[in-house]
Amino acid sequence: MSTRFHTSFAAVFTNEVLLSTKRVAPYVLIVLFAANKVLWWAKGPAVGLGWATNSVFNITRDYTGFCFLLGLPIFTGIFMGDPIVRDFRLGVDPLIFSKPIGRAAYILGKFFGNFFVLVVCQSAFAVTAFLLQWVPFSGMVVLPVRVVPFVTHFIIIVVISHLMLGAIYFAAGTLTRNAKVVYVIAASFYPVYVAFELLVMKNLPVVFRVLLDPLGFNTHRLQGMNAWDQTAEFLNAYVVTYDLTAYVNRVSMVVIAAILLFIVYRRFTIAPLNEASHFTGLKLSSAPERLAYAAPSGGFLDSGTYELTERDRIPLPQVTSTRSTFSKLLAALETEFRLLRAERSLLVLVVLVILLSIVNLPPYRMVPEVSYSVMFATNTANTLFVLLTGLIVFYTGETLHRERELKVEPIVWSTPVSNSVLLLSKYLAMVSLTLVLVLVVSLIAIGSQLLRGHTLEISAYVIVHGVLLVPGILFMTAFVVALNVLLRNKYVAYVIAVGTGAGLVYLYNLGYTHWLYNPLLYRIWTYPDLTTRPMLMKRLFCLGLTAVCLGLAHLFFERKTR
Amino acid sequence: MLVIKDLVKTYPSGVQALKGVNLELSPGVFGLLGPNGSGKTTLMKIVATLLDPDSGTIEMNGADLINRKDHTREMLGYLPQDFGLYPTLTAWQMLDYLAKLKGVTNRKERHSLVDALLERVNLGAERSQRLGEFSGGMRQRFGIAQALIGEPQLIIVDEPTAGLDPEERLRFHNLLSETANENTVVILSTHIVSDVSNLCTRMAIIRQGKILSACSPRQVVDELKESVWEGTVPREQLSAFKSEFNVISSRTFDGDARVRVISKAQRPHGEFTQATPVLEDYYFDLVNRQN
Repeated sequence: MSTRFHTSFAAVFTNEVLLSTKRVAPYVLIVLFAANKVLWWAKGPAVGLGWATNSVFNITRDYTGFCFLLGLPIFTGIFMGDPIVRDFRLGVDPLIFSKPIGRAAYILGKFFGNFFVLVVCQSAFAVTAFLLQWVPFSGMVVLPVRVVPFVTHFIIIVVISHLMLGAIYFAAGTLTRNAKVVYVIAASFYPVYVAFELLVMKNLPVVFRVLLDPLGFNTHRLQGMNAWDQTAEFLNAYVVTYDLTAYVNRVSMVVIAAILLFIVYRRFTIAPLNEASHFTGLKLSSAPERLAYAAPSGGFLDSGTYELTERDRIPLPQVTSTRSTFSKLLAALETEFRLLRAERSLLVLVVLVILLSIVNLPPYRMVPEVSYSVMFATNTANTLFVLLTGLIVFYTGETLHRERELKVEPIVWSTPVSNSVLLLSKYLAMVSLTLVLVLVVSLIAIGSQLLRGHTLEISAYVIVHGVLLVPGILFMTAFVVALNVLLRNKYVAYVIAVGTGAGLVYLYNLGYTHWLYNPLLYRIWTYPDLTTRPMLMKRLFCLGLTAVCLGLAHLFFERKTR
Repeated sequence: MLVIKDLVKTYPSGVQALKGVNLELSPGVFGLLGPNGSGKTTLMKIVATLLDPDSGTIEMNGADLINRKDHTREMLGYLPQDFGLYPTLTAWQMLDYLAKLKGVTNRKERHSLVDALLERVNLGAERSQRLGEFSGGMRQRFGIAQALIGEPQLIIVDEPTAGLDPEERLRFHNLLSETANENTVVILSTHIVSDVSNLCTRMAIIRQGKILSACSPRQVVDELKESVWEGTVPREQLSAFKSEFNVISSRTFDGDARVRVISKAQRPHGEFTQATPVLEDYYFDLVNRQN
């Protein structure tokens, strides 16, 4: 390759790294991953079961979990989907493309620069694990200090898996120049992956499971043995190896990433896309450093020299300004709906939510504990919780920061409208959108029940969705609104929201599920509970938290009213 | 009457954007002239309630504009220097939305207002077109239309003619002159001197966060009559010439330096001829004296 390629590639690569060092998100991720590793180390199953924390078995087990949990696939999307879109969004593209830079150098520099930063963040988990070998902990088994397994398995399991995922996000973001498409893909990763594992992989022979798994979950399994049936001594001495199929899997992930980058290389264009008109940002030429001699200014305008035309004489009606907050709220809400309706990515996501909800309906042969309607309502509620969390986190952030990104903020903020109207319109638009989705999915489940000839109990849907989903949606949306207002940076808000969610789910899975820090009641409810007085208290608590979040958002909203 | 007193603003980065600005603006078009980074936009944003000053007061007819932001926004029309629009909405939809936020609740009245405003800025035919498809000039005209909603008593226009073609620029001048009546204060922030000459009865020159001068454009130009000279100087003699005379501008022309000089007492050089004074002469003379 030519020197020019190397120079350009190095320039783009280092610039991406430099830009990342000035963002908060990588540092937050590093802390999050390191803290989680400490948590897994101190509270994970290794201590109780006598597994050596630095055994190869435990290292690969932790890496596999890390690769999937903690929202890592979503963080990969946030890192890898945006680099090229950002240049177009910031209007830097003409400055870059007017220089003699090759397409390959630009694309590869962008991709690998950001992927390098992502790997550095991920390595916080591995480095923490490595350092913890020297930390004494009561009752913990530690083998002699080792280095190589921490590195090799990290590369094979974590880096290669996310290289392929990163290439998918990068290709989607670059070719559509729409970060929201990336968010949709990221948000749908978990449901799609789980559905793929359950519906496709589960029924395949082991060799195909190893071959087709994008995250390499099956590449280092204990040759068909269940780890929970093995003794600690056996697992501590076990050497994880990869067979030929596993290597083929890993190599194919790298090849897929290369193919995607080649497609990006072939299809990438600097010309405006047709969709570009949907993302406006007025870029007036900024004023020069000196005063302009735009026209002779010696003479002074004689107003009489300009003859008024008919349209100049159109009288503007006298405006009677009222203080009707409600009508302003309705107007803002109407506009929010119009803007949400124009989101193509949202339409795709809505269809995806509906499809995945149908896929996750209970199979025919399953026998219900209470009734079919309760089982269907519970299943749809569980599926919707996962999907709607992604939708709420990403679209609430988009909605709240839209005015700033489109530079409409000075116009809207200088109107006599209260902060509560601006915030509530966005909050209510998101809540309404998600509630409509709940309704649509409920109707689909009801239709499915009717087709299967079940006895229908509408009350089961009303109780499960009304008591569980609705307060949960109200709370989650308010939480994300508050987070975005307080942090004033949607990317940091995404990281914190997803990180908090992932951390809480991990805690809940360890058995810490008290309702005081589990407002969504994850794993602590049964159908009969839903109509009891204690449940009412818990739901009121959830609504109270919602009010607190909205209050905080109002209090810390950047625009001042006084 | 808009009164600005001792306005100070320092950004968290340490940049002192305004260093005690004092101004009195009576109804009519008031020009705020200054180069980039002089503090114009900061001042505009503070008056438009989008930024809080560190200290100082702004009052309009006795009402506090800084601490009564809701009240200020009711009487305000603001056209920012750099703004965007919702690309997926039509011009009519967005103007209707902004009119609602402004408090025009009567549907019939609002529709009539939106139609009239779009006609005024020559966008009547494009009312159903998406804003994402608008050209730079069309967006600017839309920005002007939204600033005129509700007959504001205080209109702030920041670099309004950037992106407009000459015809539209003239139309905008006319529109602004018409809008400025005995009850309306219009603040025109610009770096284009001819906009100030053509529109403003009063003006201020701001530089490095300080008001250098508050005056009448016509008066200051009149004061320079018979003092501005223009001529050619060999390039190698330019430095010596500059140290001797008050050179307000110089540009290379045909290998020599074409210079403009302010000299009240004498003709700078035999070949120099008297030139018609313009507002730029006053500006550069002021800056030279400050330096």
